[in-house]
This record gives sequence, C-alpha cells and structure tokens, in this order.
Amino acid sequence: MAERPEDLNLPNAVITRIIKEALPDGVNISKEARSAISRAASVFVLYATSCANNFAMKGKRKTLNASDVLSAMEEMEFQRFVTPLKEALEAYRREQKGKKEASEQKKKDKDKKTDSEEPDKSRDEDNDEDEERLEEEEQNEEEEVDN
Amino acid sequence: MAAAAAAAAAGSGTPREEEGPGGEAVAPPPQAPTGAPGARLSRLPLARVKALVKADPDVTLAGQEAIFILARAAELFVETIAKDAYCCAQQGKRKTLQRRDLDNAIEAVDEFAFLEGTLD
Repeated sequence: MAERPEDLNLPNAVITRIIKEALPDGVNISKEARSAISRAASVFVLYATSCANNFAMKGKRKTLNASDVLSAMEEMEFQRFVTPLKEALEAYRREQKGKKEASEQKKKDKDKKTDSEEPDKSRDEDNDEDEERLEEEEQNEEEEVDN
Repeated sequence: MAAAAAAAAAGSGTPREEEGPGGEAVAPPPQAPTGAPGARLSRLPLARVKALVKADPDVTLAGQEAIFILARAAELFVETIAKDAYCCAQQGKRKTLQRRDLDNAIEAVDEFAFLEGTLD
C-alpha cells in the first residue's frame, strides 16, 4: 500500500464531466488544468476531513458524522455549499431507507422459502455487506440475530 | 422502432456515454440510479473518497453519511473552481482553460488559499 494521500486521485472521467457541465458549451480544458483540478479536489477532501475531525473530537466522538462535515464547510468558508449539501443528505437518507426496506423484504422472502434451514449462511452474506459500510449501523446486526 | 423505444425507456440505467477516452473507469459510476433519471446523488465513487478520508492518520472512523457529503462537497468544489478559473480565461479571450487560470483563481479567491503550494 503506502500510497501518499496526494496520489489518491478521483477518477478523471468523472472530474472532466463535472467540469464540462459547470462551464458553458464550447469551452475546453487543458489536460494540465484538469489534472490540477482533480488534485485540488483531493486536497479539498483531505482538508475537509481534517476540519471535520476536529469537530468530532470536540464532541468527544470517534466517528465523523454528517454534521461534522457541514461544520467543516462553514469553517473553511464554503458556507454556500451547506444548503445544497443538506438537501443532498436528505435525499441520500431517503434512498438508504428505501434500500434497507428492500433488503429486509428480501430476507423475509428468503425465510419463507428456506424455513430457517440455513440461518448461518445468510447471516454471513449480510455481514459482508455490513463490513463494506463504515461500521456505522450496528443495529442491523442486532436485528439479524433476533431473526 | 420498437427496439429503439425500449432502449429509450431503459435509458435510465446505463447512459450511452459517447465520450470516454479517459480509459480507466468507462463504466458509469457505481451508484445505480433507483428509477428516476437524474436522481443520482453523487457521481464520485464513495470508495475513493473513503480512501482519502482513511489516509488521515487522525481519523478513526467515518460514517457513511459523512463520506457521502464529502463526495458531494468535492463535486461542488470542482464546479466552483472550474467556474472561477473560467472567468480568468474569459478575460484572456480564450476558450480553453489553462493551468495558469487555475493558479490565478487560487490566488484571487480567499477560499482557495488552502490550495496554495499543494498542486505542484
């Protein structure tokens, strides 16, 4: 591993698309400028993370949460981002809720079929998914155990 | 004809990317849109953003929502800095953004001060 933080760039294709959509038609961007913007975005994330972490530590928490990031935006003088970010957060929470309900529905269907023949295997599959998430929602595991 | 209609109807899943010379991630971003087109919440892959966050030695854990907001904020940042750099290019009556336009924007805008010296 041993990657420097500056080497962790965001995908060029996505960065280019965002830039093109922000600018009027017919405007181009040189390769150097685009890669500099990509780098700047990485630096921005690192800086925002550090600021957000300060807020989390102030609150004696070890996990960065959404409000820490929003506070960091204000601290970094990007207040104009706060409103669109809050809206995006609302939409994201709704989508996550929908996904969770969908997977619970799937589980119910599974239980009907197998009649709890292999509870351990299904738990392992779900555990893998949970590990991909950043260890935030431990409540999910408790619900599975009850089943 | 019917095939075209069907393709159009199914268009919300994988948009036909006619560009894509950039090679590495030609596939659309991992966020599969749930039905409504344009409802994609973030174009930047959360896994990459997560890797950046974890690169900070002081950070213990970061919630999924925090990663998502950081990704979205990074997008807003890219839009903002691109537009500010474009103002400089416009003054020079150019239609191609150059690296120096970016440098000028960083110097001119207070909020970008944290970028000074980091892009070299």
